[in-house]
Amino acid sequence: MIRELALIDVLYLIAAMRWTLALTAIAFLGGAFFGLFIALLRIAPFAPARWLGAAYVNAVQGTPLLAWLFVFFFGLSIVGVTVSPWIAAAAAYSIYAGAFLGEIWRGCLQAIPQTQWEAGASLGLSFSAQLRYIIVPQAFRLAIPPTVGFLVQLIKNTSLAAVVGFIELTREGQLTTATTFRPFTVYLIVAALYFALCFPLTQVSRRLERRLHVAR
Amino acid sequence: MSLVELKDVVKRYGNNTVLNGVSLGVEKGEIIAIIGRSGSGKSTMLRCINGLEPIQGGSVAFDGRIVNDPATDLRELRQHVGIVFQSFNLFPHLSVEKNITLAPKVVKGMQQSEARLLAEAVLRKVGLGEKIDAFPDQLSGGQQQRVAIARSLAMQPVLMLFDEITSALDPELVGEVLKVLEEMARDGMTMILVTHEIGFARKVANRVVFMHQGKIWEQGPAAATLGNPNTPELETFLSAVLH
Amino acid sequence: MTYRFNFRDVFAAWEFLLDGLVLTLQLSLVSIVCGLLIGIAGAAARVHGGPWLKTLVATYVEVIRNTPLIVQLFLIFFGLPSAGIKFDANTAAMVALTINLGAYSTEILRAGLEAIPRSQIEAGQALGLSGLQIFRYVVIFPAFRLIYPALASQFVLLMLATSVVSQISAQDLFHAASIVQSRTFRDFEIYTVIAAAYLALALALRFLLGLLYQLVFVRR
Repeated sequence: MIRELALIDVLYLIAAMRWTLALTAIAFLGGAFFGLFIALLRIAPFAPARWLGAAYVNAVQGTPLLAWLFVFFFGLSIVGVTVSPWIAAAAAYSIYAGAFLGEIWRGCLQAIPQTQWEAGASLGLSFSAQLRYIIVPQAFRLAIPPTVGFLVQLIKNTSLAAVVGFIELTREGQLTTATTFRPFTVYLIVAALYFALCFPLTQVSRRLERRLHVAR
Repeated sequence: MSLVELKDVVKRYGNNTVLNGVSLGVEKGEIIAIIGRSGSGKSTMLRCINGLEPIQGGSVAFDGRIVNDPATDLRELRQHVGIVFQSFNLFPHLSVEKNITLAPKVVKGMQQSEARLLAEAVLRKVGLGEKIDAFPDQLSGGQQQRVAIARSLAMQPVLMLFDEITSALDPELVGEVLKVLEEMARDGMTMILVTHEIGFARKVANRVVFMHQGKIWEQGPAAATLGNPNTPELETFLSAVLH
Repeated sequence: MTYRFNFRDVFAAWEFLLDGLVLTLQLSLVSIVCGLLIGIAGAAARVHGGPWLKTLVATYVEVIRNTPLIVQLFLIFFGLPSAGIKFDANTAAMVALTINLGAYSTEILRAGLEAIPRSQIEAGQALGLSGLQIFRYVVIFPAFRLIYPALASQFVLLMLATSVVSQISAQDLFHAASIVQSRTFRDFEIYTVIAAAYLALALALRFLLGLLYQLVFVRR
């Protein structure tokens, strides 16, 4: 039964944003966990560790997010492993985000000049101590703008969860379109809502980057 | 009629007045050395002559044409004024030959064969004939600067401007560049040089112009002015530079 | 109940998957070329255009970069018909991907253009070159060389993102995978095989782009 597009539909769309945000948060936390691990792996003074980290990053960055979603949502249940949609989503997005955050953070760690490491070593600090007290604090500052930038990517990527039936903003848009038959208006609203989430973050990331360059 | 005529030129960057009423006439065939502290406005004044710097007051004329007039075709004018910069500004992705032949081919419509002959000729003049197919990053600073000079010469200008062209060079490379300039002077080129090389100015320039606080503070025949400064500012400047 | 992995069913459908792969490659190629052209024009507009043009391009870039590709795709395929513009699935896919890549390329190329030192441009001006001549002979080649890695990464990302067009039933590789899945119910196998296929494509594309860089930008 076709219904007219009403204010209530818009409100439902806005309400669906909370699932987008929740999914983003989970993806970011999971991704941060993996990402930190991967970044450290890739700068470890131990070649096989570095190779493993690189392989992970290349594998994940070379495959579409949709594939991961499908594998976790449908593939696992077929082989007999039952997972709730949230666990499946969390797993897929964490693996995905972990690779990208790992790359970003590795870049920041490597951007700290060799001379800083040398200064630490000359003071007798171990590798992990140099990392902890000298390198990471400086790399952290560098990492904030691109990490915020990636957060924007993540928010947009949660839209793919709609494809596997996960309820968030895009899926809500599909459902609303199905009942009101107004795809143009509905998707325009959906786009506007994503824009409202992403654009401010993009601006924050830019401002942070400018301030970072001025400070250096 | 002077080749270059600056009348009461005023130039500001925001609130900072860099040129405060500068008037200067340069005749054909003259060699002018402009000296002064950094911030005195020397480079800015030079860059006004070929329109790289817009001015807020006064007028700049080249060969009778008003440079700061919006109606003037600056592109056409710049074909007759060559400028060499402190940081050479060679095009890194082009070979020496292509650096030199780009403007003649693209602006004057010269054919490749003719352009290459021209490139060979100007490179011989600066003593780098064998480097015609090299790339800028394969050359030393002094060689790059000489290529930059050759590049400007290829457009056969009537006036050459030099903006502190030896300041960025290692000391042992300065000599080879100055030699080229001396030869250009002997050939009768009109040259205006902003320079720190006081010895060179005394030897080669007809006239020395000392700039201070955005004004021409003192000017006169090279040897006389440098040997006997009239103003305390020039005296202080010379003793600071020559020690 | 233990699951018996059966990749044979997946590999048996290889011809069908190949058709999907061909469309994926076609979509990628067309979008990359057209997106790049838009990027060059957009970057030039943002650096040298008048204020009105600059704002227009900036708006385009910000809107595209702050909304998901899938929503842009749905807007073009499902939404535009009500405004009178009807595309078939493949065309809609091409349009959406091109517009999307155009925005990202504009940003990347703009950074490249702005990285060229002012002194290079002045040198060109001093020689009497026109603005267009300076852009063509002095600026664009070094700018491209500078941002090539970032652009190459964006191209690979686009190729992977083409998987999204399966959702409007464009018959790309991912769509082919879904069809095979619906016939064989081998979800795990088909999607891992597909992931591997995309990975191979991504590596191949990276390699080709790296080769192109060597041929064009590295002096011998």
